Amino acid sequence: MNTLVNVARYHLVERIAWLAMPWGILAFSFLVNAVIAATAPVPAHGFYTGGLASIYVFLLICGALSMSRSLPFGMMLGVSRRTYYLGTGLLVLVMGVVFGLVLTLLQLVERASNGWGLRLHFFQVPWIMDGPWYQTWLTSFVLLVLFALYGVWYGLVFRRWSLLGLVTFIAAQMVVALLAVVAISLSHDWSAVGHFFTALTAVALTGVLAVIAAAMGAGGLSTIRRVTV
Amino acid sequence: MPALDDGTPLFVQIAEQLADDIVDGTLAEGARVPSTNELAAFYRINPATAAKGINLLVDDGVVEKRRGIGMFVAAGAQEQLRAGRRKRFAEQYVDPMLAEANRLRIDTDTLVSLIRGPGWHNGGSRP
Amino acid sequence: MIPTISATALSRRYRDQIALDDVSLTIEPGTVTGLLGRNGAGKTTLMRIVTGLEFPTAGDLRVFGEVPAENDAVLRRMVFVREEQVYPDFQVRHAIRVASWFYPNWSEDLAGQLMADFAIPPRRRIKRLSRGMRSAVGIVIGLAARAELTLFDEPYAGLDAVARQLFYDRLLAEFAEHPRTIVLSTHLIDEVADLLEHVVMLDHGRVVLDAPADDVRGTGMTVSGPATAVEEFVAGRTVWHRQRLGSRASVTVADSLDFAEQAKARAMNLSLEPLSLQQLLVHAAGVSADEKVSA
Repeated sequence: MNTLVNVARYHLVERIAWLAMPWGILAFSFLVNAVIAATAPVPAHGFYTGGLASIYVFLLICGALSMSRSLPFGMMLGVSRRTYYLGTGLLVLVMGVVFGLVLTLLQLVERASNGWGLRLHFFQVPWIMDGPWYQTWLTSFVLLVLFALYGVWYGLVFRRWSLLGLVTFIAAQMVVALLAVVAISLSHDWSAVGHFFTALTAVALTGVLAVIAAAMGAGGLSTIRRVTV
Repeated sequence: MPALDDGTPLFVQIAEQLADDIVDGTLAEGARVPSTNELAAFYRINPATAAKGINLLVDDGVVEKRRGIGMFVAAGAQEQLRAGRRKRFAEQYVDPMLAEANRLRIDTDTLVSLIRGPGWHNGGSRP
Repeated sequence: MIPTISATALSRRYRDQIALDDVSLTIEPGTVTGLLGRNGAGKTTLMRIVTGLEFPTAGDLRVFGEVPAENDAVLRRMVFVREEQVYPDFQVRHAIRVASWFYPNWSEDLAGQLMADFAIPPRRRIKRLSRGMRSAVGIVIGLAARAELTLFDEPYAGLDAVARQLFYDRLLAEFAEHPRTIVLSTHLIDEVADLLEHVVMLDHGRVVLDAPADDVRGTGMTVSGPATAVEEFVAGRTVWHRQRLGSRASVTVADSLDFAEQAKARAMNLSLEPLSLQQLLVHAAGVSADEKVSA
């Protein structure tokens, strides 16, 4: 356990990467959107932006870097692959909780201030992050973890099989998606899919995302087992 | 660092050097012998090698262990080492000298006079 | 006593080459072992398997009696300093601080002293350090960790002779005060020869020599003098190398010569020159010194 915490602390030595950059980029995105909201005419439902995505994308990058750049030194210090992965996962979970809470608080402020006085819905995303605060927190947490672990997996695939492996990995995901589309089309079941999504509540969606995040974790853990540095 | 000569094992060389110091009195009887770590640092050798060198002297009874304090030159060590070296003197120094003298056709009388006194440093040919 | 490292019939094959071929050896606790050999002999692969970075293709490797791969209990007792270690993009002091968290015996004092000795700027980003300075960072971590098993793989790329001597001195002092098992892989053999207690030499993935350093030293002599006398003296001995110049000959024999034999050689007007560890290993690898020079 102690070693897991040390691995997590090790990542945080690069505070700029894990702490400053995600929020810096999010703040920048927010400012740009705020300027637009302040100057452009207000649409009927106020401004909705995709700017919140920047923090998730950045966590994906952090995850990838944690495996490509930080792993060799970790292993020099006598940390096993599994422990390194679990320690990184611990950090991801803690950051998911904390970052999720901050995002939730910002959303509360946004709601209370009528979109920062600009009718700007930056932290509020229709349907998925539009419910009570605890639900926003939970969904933010799951999404943050999902993106970070997805990034970690990319980093590991690159480390283990290099560029060709990375391309294959991406291609494989596209093939899986394509096969799903083909399978659904062949069975003429698009309406069933439609029903599934219309019937899906935001909470249920969070559940689905959590399952995917767990799959990412399992995938990463099995990929790191024979990574060499 | 004093150069150690290749060929003979290092630990033997360490023992020889300490023995030299005891024979010429640099390390007096009863004096503390440098510790393994001091020797290791001084000669830049592995401490285990230094320990092996000291142990050769301990085995010969020239150096004795005093528990918890260190290693000391044993009483009578100087005389004991001298006696041993006297025995080896002939084969180490005299035999090679005689062999070389023989090669150079220096006869025994000339050799003796060379040893006896100065004035014969021109290689044995009379002035 | 459980050996610190024991390999049994250990092999590692890559697609088209054999990096380690049926290697069996043991390294005892509290010793300084030199892992020697030419480039590509398999030294790094062996150390990588010992530290769990690499997996064997066949055979068994144990560290502290256990398989090291993915074994935290074993891995945390060792530190592996290697040439061209990859660090994250952070400052020297960060690397030092992180390393200190992972080693219970970490010495803050020693780390600070070594940093000063090597004049490493603590606030410099590691990737902006010169090659030699980067090597020095590895040395600081390797020594200050005071790990039970410390492995150095060509730890001094880019370090000059003065800095290397500093490393040897600190290594010896540390080893004397805080004994541990040290494995040092290098091709600067004569520089480290006196520090070693045990010598393992690999060639083309095989162990060609595995012996106490004291036994290795003094094995091998070059006998030179009048050809007839030399040939008479070396008759019946294992000859590694033979050279003639006119009526003089110089022959390198594999045996160690005892005192009587040495005296006999001198009486025959032959000169004897012991082989250095480096020369010995060149012969042990089956490559004559001349071939190596011209290669």
